[in-house]
Amino acid sequence: MIMTTGAEPVIRMFHVHKRYGSQMALHDVNLTVLKNDFVFITGQSGAGKTTLLRLLFLDEVVSQGQILVNGIHLQRIRRAKIPFLRRNMGVVFQDFRLIHSYTVYENVALVLETTGQQKRYIQKRARQVLRMVGLEDRLHAYPQRLSGGEQQRVAVARAAVGNPLILLADEPTGNLDTTAADMVFDLFRQLHTRGTTVIVATHDSRLFEKVQGRIVVLNQGCVESKLTV
Amino acid sequence: MNLTTRSSIFQRVRRNVSTTPYLHLATTATIAFSLLIIGTFALVYTNISDLIRSWQDNIRVVAYLSDGLPEGRRTSLQQRLAKLYGVGEIRYVSKDAAMDRLKRQMKHRLSLLEGLQENPLPASFEIRLVQGWQGWERLDPLVDQIKQLPDIEDVEYGQAWLRRFSQFIAFFRLASLIIGVLIVATTVFVCTNTIKLTLYTKRQELEIMSLVGATDAFIQTPFYIESLIEGFLGGLIAVGLLFGTYRLFISRVQSPHLLLSSGEIAFLSLTACGALLAVGMLIGWFGSYLSLKRFLRP
Ligand SMILES: Nc1ncnc2c1ncn2[C@@H]1O[C@H](COP(=O)(O)OP(=O)(O)O)[C@@H](O)[C@H]1O
Ligand SMILES: [Mg+2]
Repeated sequence: MIMTTGAEPVIRMFHVHKRYGSQMALHDVNLTVLKNDFVFITGQSGAGKTTLLRLLFLDEVVSQGQILVNGIHLQRIRRAKIPFLRRNMGVVFQDFRLIHSYTVYENVALVLETTGQQKRYIQKRARQVLRMVGLEDRLHAYPQRLSGGEQQRVAVARAAVGNPLILLADEPTGNLDTTAADMVFDLFRQLHTRGTTVIVATHDSRLFEKVQGRIVVLNQGCVESKLTV
Repeated sequence: MNLTTRSSIFQRVRRNVSTTPYLHLATTATIAFSLLIIGTFALVYTNISDLIRSWQDNIRVVAYLSDGLPEGRRTSLQQRLAKLYGVGEIRYVSKDAAMDRLKRQMKHRLSLLEGLQENPLPASFEIRLVQGWQGWERLDPLVDQIKQLPDIEDVEYGQAWLRRFSQFIAFFRLASLIIGVLIVATTVFVCTNTIKLTLYTKRQELEIMSLVGATDAFIQTPFYIESLIEGFLGGLIAVGLLFGTYRLFISRVQSPHLLLSSGEIAFLSLTACGALLAVGMLIGWFGSYLSLKRFLRP
Protein backbone atom coordinates (compact mmCIF):
# COMPACT_ATOMS: atom_id res chain seq x y z
CA MET A 1 0.00 0.00 0.00
CA ILE A 2 1.30 3.42 -0.87
CA MET A 3 0.83 6.15 1.68
CA THR A 4 0.51 9.62 0.36
CA THR A 5 -0.95 11.43 3.30
CA GLY A 6 1.99 10.98 5.61
CA ALA A 7 -0.41 10.06 8.41
CA GLU A 8 0.96 7.70 10.98
CA PRO A 9 -0.18 4.10 11.17
CA VAL A 10 -2.41 3.35 14.13
CA ILE A 11 -2.76 -0.36 13.56
CA ARG A 12 -0.33 -2.66 11.85
CA MET A 13 -0.80 -6.38 11.42
CA PHE A 14 2.10 -8.49 10.13
CA HIS A 15 1.48 -12.03 8.90
CA VAL A 16 -1.19 -12.60 11.49
CA HIS A 17 -2.55 -16.10 11.87
CA LYS A 18 -5.26 -17.13 14.27
CA ARG A 19 -6.31 -20.69 14.91
CA TYR A 20 -8.98 -22.01 17.24
CA GLY A 21 -7.76 -25.53 17.76
CA SER A 22 -7.53 -26.88 14.25
CA GLN A 23 -9.94 -24.24 12.89
CA MET A 24 -8.10 -21.55 10.96
CA ALA A 25 -9.88 -18.21 11.54
CA LEU A 26 -7.28 -15.85 10.06
CA HIS A 27 -4.50 -16.70 7.65
CA ASP A 28 -1.50 -14.48 6.98
CA VAL A 29 -3.30 -11.16 7.38
CA ASN A 30 -1.28 -8.02 6.68
CA LEU A 31 -3.01 -4.75 7.28
CA THR A 32 -2.13 -1.14 8.00
CA VAL A 33 -4.69 1.32 9.25
CA LEU A 34 -3.70 4.96 9.34
CA LYS A 35 -4.76 7.59 11.81
CA ASN A 36 -8.27 8.82 11.05
CA ASP A 37 -8.94 6.12 8.46
CA PHE A 38 -12.47 4.80 8.04
CA VAL A 39 -12.19 1.12 7.25
CA PHE A 40 -14.80 -1.51 6.52
CA ILE A 41 -13.82 -5.11 7.12
CA THR A 42 -16.20 -7.20 5.11
CA GLY A 43 -16.70 -10.75 4.02
CA GLN A 44 -19.15 -13.57 4.48
CA SER A 45 -20.15 -14.93 7.79
CA GLY A 46 -17.27 -16.95 9.20
CA ALA A 47 -14.68 -15.03 7.18
CA GLY A 48 -12.85 -13.90 10.32
CA LYS A 49 -14.09 -10.32 10.80
CA THR A 50 -14.93 -10.70 14.48
CA THR A 51 -11.72 -12.55 15.12
CA LEU A 52 -9.69 -9.76 13.54
CA LEU A 53 -11.31 -7.15 15.78
CA ARG A 54 -10.96 -9.26 18.92
CA LEU A 55 -7.23 -9.57 18.32
CA LEU A 56 -6.95 -5.78 18.34
CA PHE A 57 -8.27 -5.26 21.87
CA LEU A 58 -6.65 -8.42 23.17
CA ASP A 59 -9.81 -10.38 23.75
CA GLU A 60 -7.84 -13.05 21.90
CA VAL A 61 -4.15 -13.41 21.14
CA VAL A 62 -2.60 -14.22 17.77
CA SER A 63 -1.35 -17.71 17.04
CA GLN A 64 1.40 -16.33 14.86
CA GLY A 65 2.46 -12.92 13.56
CA GLN A 66 2.54 -9.50 15.12
CA ILE A 67 0.17 -6.64 15.83
CA LEU A 68 1.05 -3.08 16.74
CA VAL A 69 -1.56 -0.68 18.05
CA ASN A 70 -0.42 2.91 18.60
CA GLY A 71 3.11 1.57 18.42
CA ILE A 72 2.41 -0.91 21.24
CA HIS A 73 3.40 -4.45 20.54
CA LEU A 74 0.37 -6.50 21.58
CA GLN A 75 2.34 -9.70 22.01
CA ARG A 76 4.64 -8.06 24.52
CA ILE A 77 2.29 -5.79 26.42
CA ARG A 78 2.27 -6.17 30.20
CA ARG A 79 -0.98 -7.32 31.73
CA ALA A 80 -1.26 -4.16 33.80
CA LYS A 81 -1.10 -2.02 30.65
CA ILE A 82 -3.98 -3.74 28.88
CA PRO A 83 -6.70 -1.53 30.45
CA PHE A 84 -4.91 1.56 29.14
CA LEU A 85 -4.74 0.07 25.67
CA ARG A 86 -8.47 -0.66 25.81
CA ARG A 87 -9.28 2.87 26.96
CA ASN A 88 -8.03 4.11 23.61
CA MET A 89 -10.55 1.92 21.89
CA GLY A 90 -14.31 1.95 21.83
CA VAL A 91 -15.70 -1.45 20.97
CA VAL A 92 -19.17 -2.31 19.75
CA PHE A 93 -19.40 -6.04 20.36
CA GLN A 94 -21.33 -8.20 17.97
CA ASP A 95 -23.21 -9.63 20.94
CA PHE A 96 -23.45 -6.19 22.65
CA ARG A 97 -22.10 -7.32 26.04
CA LEU A 98 -24.15 -4.99 28.17
CA ILE A 99 -24.20 -5.44 31.93
CA HIS A 100 -27.67 -6.70 32.73
CA SER A 101 -27.74 -5.37 36.27
CA TYR A 102 -26.89 -1.84 35.09
CA THR A 103 -29.29 0.60 33.51
CA VAL A 104 -28.68 1.95 30.03
CA TYR A 105 -27.21 5.09 31.51
CA GLU A 106 -25.01 3.18 33.96
CA ASN A 107 -23.68 0.94 31.22
CA VAL A 108 -22.55 3.96 29.25
CA ALA A 109 -21.32 6.00 32.22
CA LEU A 110 -19.18 3.10 33.46
CA VAL A 111 -16.61 3.75 30.75
CA LEU A 112 -16.05 7.28 31.99
CA GLU A 113 -16.06 6.19 35.63
CA THR A 114 -13.20 3.80 35.02
CA THR A 115 -11.10 6.67 33.79
CA GLY A 116 -12.20 8.88 36.67
CA GLN A 117 -13.89 11.72 34.77
CA GLN A 118 -15.71 14.49 36.59
CA LYS A 119 -19.20 13.47 37.63
CA ARG A 120 -20.81 16.43 35.89
CA TYR A 121 -18.98 15.69 32.66
CA ILE A 122 -20.02 12.03 32.82
CA GLN A 123 -23.67 12.95 33.16
CA LYS A 124 -23.53 15.41 30.32
CA ARG A 125 -21.54 13.24 27.96
CA ALA A 126 -23.41 9.97 28.60
CA ARG A 127 -26.76 11.68 27.99
CA GLN A 128 -25.39 13.33 24.90
CA VAL A 129 -24.31 10.12 23.15
CA LEU A 130 -27.48 8.33 24.21
CA ARG A 131 -29.47 11.16 22.66
CA MET A 132 -27.50 10.77 19.46
CA VAL A 133 -28.54 7.12 19.15
CA GLY A 134 -32.14 7.97 20.01
CA LEU A 135 -32.27 6.50 23.49
CA GLU A 136 -32.69 9.65 25.59
CA ASP A 137 -35.95 8.33 27.03
CA ARG A 138 -34.59 4.88 27.93
CA LEU A 139 -31.82 6.04 30.27
CA HIS A 140 -33.07 4.12 33.28
CA ALA A 141 -34.26 0.98 31.52
CA TYR A 142 -32.40 -2.30 32.01
CA PRO A 143 -30.94 -3.88 28.87
CA GLN A 144 -33.10 -6.98 29.02
CA ARG A 145 -36.21 -4.83 28.72
CA LEU A 146 -34.91 -3.37 25.43
CA SER A 147 -35.27 -4.63 21.90
CA GLY A 148 -32.21 -6.02 20.12
CA GLY A 149 -31.89 -2.83 18.14
CA GLU A 150 -32.03 -0.68 21.26
CA GLN A 151 -29.43 -2.82 22.98
CA GLN A 152 -27.21 -2.48 19.97
CA ARG A 153 -27.52 1.30 20.14
CA VAL A 154 -26.59 1.25 23.82
CA ALA A 155 -23.50 -0.72 22.82
CA VAL A 156 -22.70 1.91 20.20
CA ALA A 157 -23.17 4.73 22.69
CA ARG A 158 -20.89 3.00 25.17
CA ALA A 159 -18.20 2.58 22.52
CA ALA A 160 -18.42 6.23 21.53
CA VAL A 161 -18.76 7.86 24.93
CA GLY A 162 -15.06 8.01 25.72
CA ASN A 163 -14.10 9.73 22.43
CA PRO A 164 -11.76 6.85 21.66
CA LEU A 165 -8.78 7.07 19.34
CA ILE A 166 -9.99 3.92 17.63
CA LEU A 167 -13.55 2.72 17.26
CA LEU A 168 -14.06 -0.96 16.55
CA ALA A 169 -17.61 -1.84 15.58
CA ASP A 170 -18.66 -5.43 14.91
CA GLU A 171 -21.82 -5.57 12.81
CA PRO A 172 -23.07 -2.41 14.53
CA THR A 173 -26.21 -2.15 12.44
CA GLY A 174 -27.08 -5.84 12.31
CA ASN A 175 -30.28 -5.37 14.29
CA LEU A 176 -31.19 -1.88 13.14
CA ASP A 177 -33.69 -0.45 10.71
CA THR A 178 -32.56 2.25 8.28
CA THR A 179 -33.34 5.20 10.54
CA ALA A 180 -31.48 3.72 13.49
CA ALA A 181 -28.59 2.68 11.26
CA ASP A 182 -28.38 6.25 10.00
CA MET A 183 -28.22 7.54 13.55
CA VAL A 184 -25.40 5.17 14.36
CA PHE A 185 -23.48 6.21 11.27
CA ASP A 186 -24.03 9.88 12.07
CA LEU A 187 -22.36 9.21 15.39
CA PHE A 188 -19.49 7.34 13.74
CA ARG A 189 -19.03 10.14 11.25
CA GLN A 190 -18.95 12.70 14.01
CA LEU A 191 -16.24 10.77 15.86
CA HIS A 192 -14.38 10.33 12.60
CA THR A 193 -14.48 14.06 11.95
CA ARG A 194 -12.95 14.63 15.36
CA GLY A 195 -10.05 12.36 14.53
CA THR A 196 -11.13 8.89 15.56
CA THR A 197 -9.98 5.97 13.47
CA VAL A 198 -13.05 3.86 12.71
CA ILE A 199 -13.11 0.19 11.79
CA VAL A 200 -16.47 -1.37 11.03
CA ALA A 201 -16.83 -5.10 10.47
CA THR A 202 -19.92 -5.90 8.43
CA HIS A 203 -21.20 -8.33 5.87
CA ASP A 204 -23.69 -5.68 4.69
CA SER A 205 -22.32 -3.98 1.55
CA ARG A 206 -25.05 -1.33 1.63
CA LEU A 207 -23.18 0.35 4.48
CA PHE A 208 -20.30 1.27 2.18
CA GLU A 209 -22.37 4.02 0.66
CA LYS A 210 -22.73 5.77 4.01
CA VAL A 211 -19.11 6.82 4.36
CA GLN A 212 -16.13 7.26 2.17
CA GLY A 213 -13.60 4.74 3.31
CA ARG A 214 -11.44 1.77 2.61
CA ILE A 215 -12.81 -1.70 2.26
CA VAL A 216 -10.92 -4.80 3.26
CA VAL A 217 -12.46 -8.02 2.06
CA LEU A 218 -11.84 -11.18 4.03
CA ASN A 219 -12.46 -14.58 2.60
CA GLN A 220 -12.00 -17.69 4.73
CA GLY A 221 -9.50 -15.90 6.93
CA CYS A 222 -7.43 -14.37 4.13
CA VAL A 223 -7.38 -10.78 2.91
CA GLU A 224 -8.85 -11.03 -0.56
CA SER A 225 -8.68 -7.37 -1.59
CA LYS A 226 -8.27 -3.87 -0.28
CA LEU A 227 -10.16 -1.11 -2.05
CA THR A 228 -10.82 2.54 -1.54
CA VAL A 229 -14.24 3.95 -2.43
CA MET B 1 -8.02 7.00 42.67
CA ASN B 2 -10.16 10.12 42.35
CA LEU B 3 -13.62 11.08 43.52
CA THR B 4 -15.50 9.54 40.61
CA THR B 5 -13.84 6.15 40.74
CA ARG B 6 -14.21 6.13 44.50
CA SER B 7 -17.92 6.87 44.42
CA SER B 8 -18.36 4.36 41.63
CA ILE B 9 -16.61 1.76 43.76
CA PHE B 10 -18.81 2.44 46.77
CA GLN B 11 -21.87 2.31 44.58
CA ARG B 12 -20.79 -1.14 43.45
CA VAL B 13 -20.19 -2.23 47.04
CA ARG B 14 -23.78 -1.26 47.83
CA ARG B 15 -25.03 -2.94 44.69
CA ASN B 16 -23.13 -6.15 45.39
CA VAL B 17 -24.38 -6.37 48.96
CA SER B 18 -27.98 -5.80 47.89
CA THR B 19 -27.88 -8.33 45.05
CA THR B 20 -26.34 -11.17 47.07
CA PRO B 21 -27.23 -10.35 50.70
CA TYR B 22 -27.16 -13.95 51.90
CA LEU B 23 -23.67 -14.62 50.65
CA HIS B 24 -22.47 -11.53 52.48
CA LEU B 25 -24.37 -12.52 55.59
CA ALA B 26 -22.84 -15.98 55.42
CA THR B 27 -19.33 -14.55 55.22
CA THR B 28 -19.95 -12.24 58.16
CA ALA B 29 -21.44 -15.06 60.24
CA THR B 30 -18.58 -17.42 59.44
CA ILE B 31 -16.02 -14.86 60.50
CA ALA B 32 -18.00 -14.00 63.64
CA PHE B 33 -18.29 -17.64 64.61
CA SER B 34 -14.61 -18.41 64.27
CA LEU B 35 -13.60 -15.23 66.10
CA LEU B 36 -15.99 -16.18 68.89
CA ILE B 37 -14.15 -19.45 69.35
CA ILE B 38 -10.76 -17.78 69.21
CA GLY B 39 -11.94 -15.08 71.62
CA THR B 40 -13.19 -17.67 74.08
CA PHE B 41 -9.83 -19.38 74.12
CA ALA B 42 -8.11 -16.04 74.61
CA LEU B 43 -10.44 -15.11 77.45
CA VAL B 44 -9.88 -18.37 79.30
CA TYR B 45 -6.17 -18.27 78.71
CA THR B 46 -5.60 -14.69 79.86
CA ASN B 47 -7.61 -15.21 83.02
CA ILE B 48 -5.90 -18.42 84.01
CA SER B 49 -2.45 -17.08 83.32
CA ASP B 50 -3.20 -13.89 85.28
CA LEU B 51 -4.31 -16.07 88.15
CA ILE B 52 -1.17 -18.15 88.01
CA ARG B 53 0.96 -15.06 87.95
CA SER B 54 -0.71 -13.68 91.03
CA TRP B 55 -0.26 -17.02 92.79
CA GLN B 56 3.34 -17.16 91.74
CA ASP B 57 3.93 -13.69 93.13
CA ASN B 58 2.70 -14.92 96.47
CA ILE B 59 4.79 -18.00 96.73
CA ARG B 60 6.30 -18.37 100.16
CA VAL B 61 8.96 -20.80 101.18
CA VAL B 62 8.52 -22.01 104.73
CA ALA B 63 11.60 -23.25 106.57
CA TYR B 64 10.76 -25.20 109.77
CA LEU B 65 13.22 -24.88 112.61
CA SER B 66 14.46 -27.54 115.00
CA ASP B 67 12.67 -27.51 118.34
CA GLY B 68 14.20 -25.53 121.16
CA LEU B 69 16.53 -23.48 119.04
CA PRO B 70 18.19 -20.75 121.18
CA GLU B 71 17.59 -17.21 120.12
CA GLY B 72 21.20 -16.51 119.17
CA ARG B 73 21.39 -19.44 116.77
CA ARG B 74 18.09 -18.38 115.35
CA THR B 75 19.25 -14.83 114.63
CA SER B 76 22.40 -15.99 112.91
CA LEU B 77 20.34 -18.46 110.85
CA GLN B 78 18.10 -15.62 109.80
CA GLN B 79 21.11 -13.57 108.79
CA ARG B 80 22.45 -16.41 106.69
CA LEU B 81 19.08 -16.87 105.07
CA ALA B 82 18.86 -13.20 104.24
CA LYS B 83 22.14 -13.41 102.34
CA LEU B 84 20.86 -16.08 99.98
CA TYR B 85 20.23 -14.83 96.49
CA GLY B 86 16.53 -14.32 95.80
CA VAL B 87 15.38 -14.20 99.38
CA GLY B 88 13.25 -11.19 100.17
CA GLU B 89 11.39 -10.52 103.36
CA ILE B 90 11.80 -13.05 106.17
CA ARG B 91 9.24 -13.38 108.90
CA TYR B 92 9.71 -15.42 112.05
CA VAL B 93 6.73 -17.41 113.24
CA SER B 94 7.20 -18.73 116.72
CA LYS B 95 5.65 -21.94 118.01
CA ASP B 96 3.04 -19.90 119.89
CA ALA B 97 2.26 -17.74 116.91
CA ALA B 98 1.82 -20.86 114.79
CA MET B 99 -0.61 -22.28 117.35
CA ASP B 100 -2.55 -19.02 117.50
CA ARG B 101 -2.88 -19.02 113.74
CA LEU B 102 -4.07 -22.61 113.77
CA LYS B 103 -6.64 -21.80 116.41
CA ARG B 104 -7.91 -18.92 114.37
CA GLN B 105 -8.23 -21.12 111.32
CA MET B 106 -10.09 -23.81 113.24
CA LYS B 107 -12.28 -21.62 115.37
CA HIS B 108 -15.23 -23.99 115.07
CA ARG B 109 -13.25 -27.04 116.11
CA LEU B 110 -11.29 -25.58 118.98
CA SER B 111 -12.19 -28.58 121.16
CA LEU B 112 -9.86 -30.70 119.07
CA LEU B 113 -6.91 -28.55 120.08
CA GLU B 114 -7.78 -28.17 123.71
CA GLY B 115 -6.67 -31.67 124.56
CA LEU B 116 -3.11 -31.04 123.50
CA GLN B 117 -0.50 -31.20 126.32
CA GLU B 118 2.19 -29.26 124.53
CA ASN B 119 2.44 -27.30 121.33
CA PRO B 120 3.38 -29.73 118.52
CA LEU B 121 3.86 -27.03 115.92
CA PRO B 122 7.40 -26.08 114.95
CA ALA B 123 8.67 -22.51 114.76
CA SER B 124 9.42 -21.38 111.23
CA PHE B 125 10.73 -18.70 108.93
CA GLU B 126 8.34 -17.60 106.22
CA ILE B 127 10.45 -16.45 103.34
CA ARG B 128 9.12 -14.29 100.55
CA LEU B 129 11.04 -14.11 97.33
CA VAL B 130 12.38 -10.98 95.73
CA GLN B 131 9.85 -9.47 93.32
CA GLY B 132 10.10 -10.82 89.82
CA TRP B 133 12.34 -13.63 90.90
CA GLN B 134 9.77 -16.40 91.02
CA GLY B 135 10.96 -18.62 88.21
CA TRP B 136 10.63 -22.33 88.80
CA GLU B 137 14.12 -23.00 87.60
CA ARG B 138 15.55 -20.80 90.31
CA LEU B 139 13.29 -21.90 93.11
CA ASP B 140 14.56 -25.47 93.34
CA PRO B 141 18.25 -24.62 93.92
CA LEU B 142 17.22 -22.03 96.51
CA VAL B 143 15.18 -24.58 98.42
CA ASP B 144 18.13 -27.00 98.31
CA GLN B 145 20.44 -24.32 99.70
CA ILE B 146 18.05 -23.57 102.54
CA LYS B 147 17.70 -27.26 103.37
CA GLN B 148 21.46 -27.55 103.84
CA LEU B 149 21.61 -24.84 106.48
CA PRO B 150 21.96 -26.06 110.08
CA ASP B 151 18.96 -26.12 112.42
CA ILE B 152 16.52 -26.39 109.53
CA GLU B 153 14.26 -29.37 109.89
CA ASP B 154 12.36 -29.16 106.68
CA VAL B 155 11.54 -26.76 103.84
CA GLU B 156 8.20 -26.56 102.15
CA TYR B 157 6.55 -24.47 99.58
CA GLY B 158 2.86 -25.02 99.59
CA GLN B 159 2.27 -24.11 96.00
CA ALA B 160 4.30 -26.95 94.55
CA TRP B 161 1.27 -28.03 92.56
CA LEU B 162 1.41 -24.67 90.84
CA ARG B 163 4.32 -25.94 88.84
CA ARG B 164 2.28 -28.77 87.39
CA PHE B 165 -0.53 -26.42 86.71
CA SER B 166 1.53 -23.87 84.87
CA GLN B 167 3.01 -26.62 82.74
CA PHE B 168 -0.52 -27.54 81.84
CA ILE B 169 -1.26 -23.92 81.02
CA ALA B 170 1.76 -23.71 78.75
CA PHE B 171 0.40 -26.72 76.94
CA PHE B 172 -3.05 -25.16 76.83
CA ARG B 173 -1.58 -22.08 75.25
CA LEU B 174 0.22 -24.06 72.58
CA ALA B 175 -2.91 -26.08 71.87
CA SER B 176 -5.07 -22.95 71.59
CA LEU B 177 -2.53 -21.36 69.29
CA ILE B 178 -2.62 -24.36 66.98
CA ILE B 179 -6.40 -24.53 67.11
CA GLY B 180 -6.58 -20.79 66.46
CA VAL B 181 -4.39 -21.07 63.37
CA LEU B 182 -6.50 -23.98 62.11
CA ILE B 183 -9.69 -22.02 62.68
CA VAL B 184 -8.34 -18.98 60.87
CA ALA B 185 -7.16 -21.12 57.95
CA THR B 186 -10.52 -22.88 57.71
CA THR B 187 -12.36 -19.58 57.85
CA VAL B 188 -10.20 -18.11 55.12
CA PHE B 189 -10.96 -21.17 53.03
CA VAL B 190 -14.71 -20.89 53.61
CA CYS B 191 -14.68 -17.14 52.91
CA THR B 192 -12.65 -17.66 49.75
CA ASN B 193 -15.32 -19.98 48.47
CA THR B 194 -18.21 -17.72 49.41
CA ILE B 195 -16.51 -14.79 47.69
CA LYS B 196 -15.91 -17.00 44.66
CA LEU B 197 -19.64 -17.59 44.51
CA THR B 198 -20.23 -13.83 44.52
CA LEU B 199 -17.65 -13.43 41.79
CA TYR B 200 -19.25 -16.20 39.81
CA THR B 201 -22.63 -14.48 39.85
CA LYS B 202 -20.87 -11.31 38.67
CA ARG B 203 -18.50 -12.82 36.14
CA GLN B 204 -20.24 -11.27 33.12
CA GLU B 205 -20.14 -7.82 34.69
CA LEU B 206 -16.47 -8.16 35.65
CA GLU B 207 -15.44 -9.38 32.24
CA ILE B 208 -17.23 -6.51 30.53
CA MET B 209 -15.63 -3.99 32.86
CA SER B 210 -12.24 -5.31 31.93
CA LEU B 211 -13.10 -5.12 28.22
CA VAL B 212 -14.08 -1.46 28.46
CA GLY B 213 -10.78 -0.57 30.11
CA ALA B 214 -11.26 -0.96 33.86
CA THR B 215 -8.08 -1.74 35.74
CA ASP B 216 -7.81 -4.73 38.06
CA ALA B 217 -7.78 -2.34 41.00
CA PHE B 218 -11.04 -0.74 39.86
CA ILE B 219 -12.65 -4.14 39.43
CA GLN B 220 -11.33 -5.70 42.62
CA THR B 221 -11.49 -2.90 45.16
CA PRO B 222 -15.22 -3.29 45.93
CA PHE B 223 -14.67 -6.92 46.83
CA TYR B 224 -11.81 -6.06 49.15
CA ILE B 225 -13.88 -3.34 50.79
CA GLU B 226 -16.83 -5.66 51.23
CA SER B 227 -14.83 -8.36 52.91
CA LEU B 228 -12.95 -5.90 55.10
CA ILE B 229 -16.32 -4.58 56.28
CA GLU B 230 -17.58 -8.13 56.77
CA GLY B 231 -14.47 -9.03 58.74
CA PHE B 232 -14.91 -5.95 60.91
CA LEU B 233 -18.59 -6.66 61.50
CA GLY B 234 -17.82 -10.31 62.22
CA GLY B 235 -15.30 -9.16 64.80
CA LEU B 236 -17.79 -6.77 66.39
CA ILE B 237 -20.42 -9.49 66.60
CA ALA B 238 -17.92 -11.92 68.12
CA VAL B 239 -16.72 -9.41 70.73
CA GLY B 240 -20.34 -8.47 71.51
CA LEU B 241 -21.45 -12.05 71.96
CA LEU B 242 -18.39 -12.84 74.02
CA PHE B 243 -18.99 -9.85 76.25
CA GLY B 244 -22.66 -10.77 76.70
CA THR B 245 -21.76 -14.32 77.66
CA TYR B 246 -19.07 -13.05 79.98
CA ARG B 247 -21.47 -10.73 81.80
CA LEU B 248 -23.97 -13.53 82.14
CA PHE B 249 -21.30 -15.85 83.51
CA ILE B 250 -20.06 -13.25 85.98
CA SER B 251 -23.53 -12.57 87.33
CA ARG B 252 -24.15 -16.29 87.83
CA VAL B 253 -20.81 -17.23 89.35
CA GLN B 254 -20.17 -14.69 92.03
CA SER B 255 -19.37 -17.04 94.85
CA PRO B 256 -16.10 -15.74 96.30
CA HIS B 257 -14.99 -19.03 97.83
CA LEU B 258 -14.31 -20.46 94.41
CA LEU B 259 -10.79 -21.03 93.27
CA LEU B 260 -10.94 -17.68 91.54
CA SER B 261 -11.30 -15.69 94.72
CA SER B 262 -7.87 -14.14 94.46
CA GLY B 263 -8.80 -12.08 91.43
CA GLU B 264 -11.80 -11.14 89.43
CA ILE B 265 -12.47 -12.67 86.04
CA ALA B 266 -11.45 -10.01 83.60
CA PHE B 267 -12.75 -9.47 80.07
CA LEU B 268 -10.37 -9.25 77.15
CA SER B 269 -8.29 -6.10 77.07
CA LEU B 270 -9.09 -3.40 74.54
CA THR B 271 -5.98 -4.42 72.63
CA ALA B 272 -7.16 -8.01 72.48
CA CYS B 273 -10.60 -6.91 71.22
CA GLY B 274 -8.88 -4.76 68.62
CA ALA B 275 -6.75 -7.73 67.65
CA LEU B 276 -9.89 -9.85 67.14
CA LEU B 277 -11.31 -7.19 64.81
CA ALA B 278 -8.01 -7.03 62.98
CA VAL B 279 -7.94 -10.81 62.58
CA GLY B 280 -11.48 -10.67 61.19
CA MET B 281 -10.49 -8.05 58.64
CA LEU B 282 -7.37 -10.00 57.79
CA ILE B 283 -9.45 -13.10 57.17
CA GLY B 284 -11.76 -11.12 54.88
CA TRP B 285 -8.91 -9.51 53.03
CA PHE B 286 -7.07 -12.76 52.54
CA GLY B 287 -10.24 -14.53 51.41
CA SER B 288 -10.80 -11.86 48.75
CA TYR B 289 -7.20 -11.96 47.71
CA LEU B 290 -7.24 -15.71 47.15
CA SER B 291 -10.55 -15.80 45.32
CA LEU B 292 -9.80 -12.77 43.13
CA LYS B 293 -6.37 -14.07 42.27
CA ARG B 294 -7.83 -17.29 40.98
CA PHE B 295 -10.80 -15.69 39.35
CA LEU B 296 -9.25 -12.89 37.35
CA ARG B 297 -6.17 -14.67 36.07
CA PRO B 298 -6.99 -16.82 33.09
N1 LIG C 1 -14.09 -18.93 20.09
C1 LIG C 1 -14.03 -19.68 18.94
N2 LIG C 1 -13.75 -20.99 19.02
C2 LIG C 1 -13.66 -21.73 17.92
N3 LIG C 1 -13.84 -21.28 16.70
C3 LIG C 1 -14.13 -19.98 16.53
C4 LIG C 1 -14.25 -19.12 17.66
N4 LIG C 1 -14.54 -17.88 17.21
C5 LIG C 1 -14.61 -17.97 15.86
N5 LIG C 1 -14.37 -19.22 15.45
C6 LIG C 1 -14.31 -19.68 14.05
O1 LIG C 1 -13.44 -18.84 13.36
C7 LIG C 1 -13.96 -18.53 12.08
C8 LIG C 1 -14.12 -17.03 11.94
O2 LIG C 1 -15.13 -16.60 12.81
P1 LIG C 1 -15.52 -15.08 13.01
O3 LIG C 1 -14.28 -14.30 13.21
O4 LIG C 1 -16.54 -15.00 14.05
O5 LIG C 1 -16.17 -14.74 11.61
P2 LIG C 1 -17.12 -13.55 11.18
O6 LIG C 1 -17.14 -12.56 12.29
O7 LIG C 1 -16.52 -13.01 9.94
O8 LIG C 1 -18.45 -14.15 10.94
C9 LIG C 1 -15.29 -19.25 11.99
O9 LIG C 1 -15.07 -20.43 11.23
C10 LIG C 1 -15.66 -19.55 13.39
O10 LIG C 1 -16.37 -20.75 13.46
MG1 LIG D 1 -18.71 -11.80 13.37
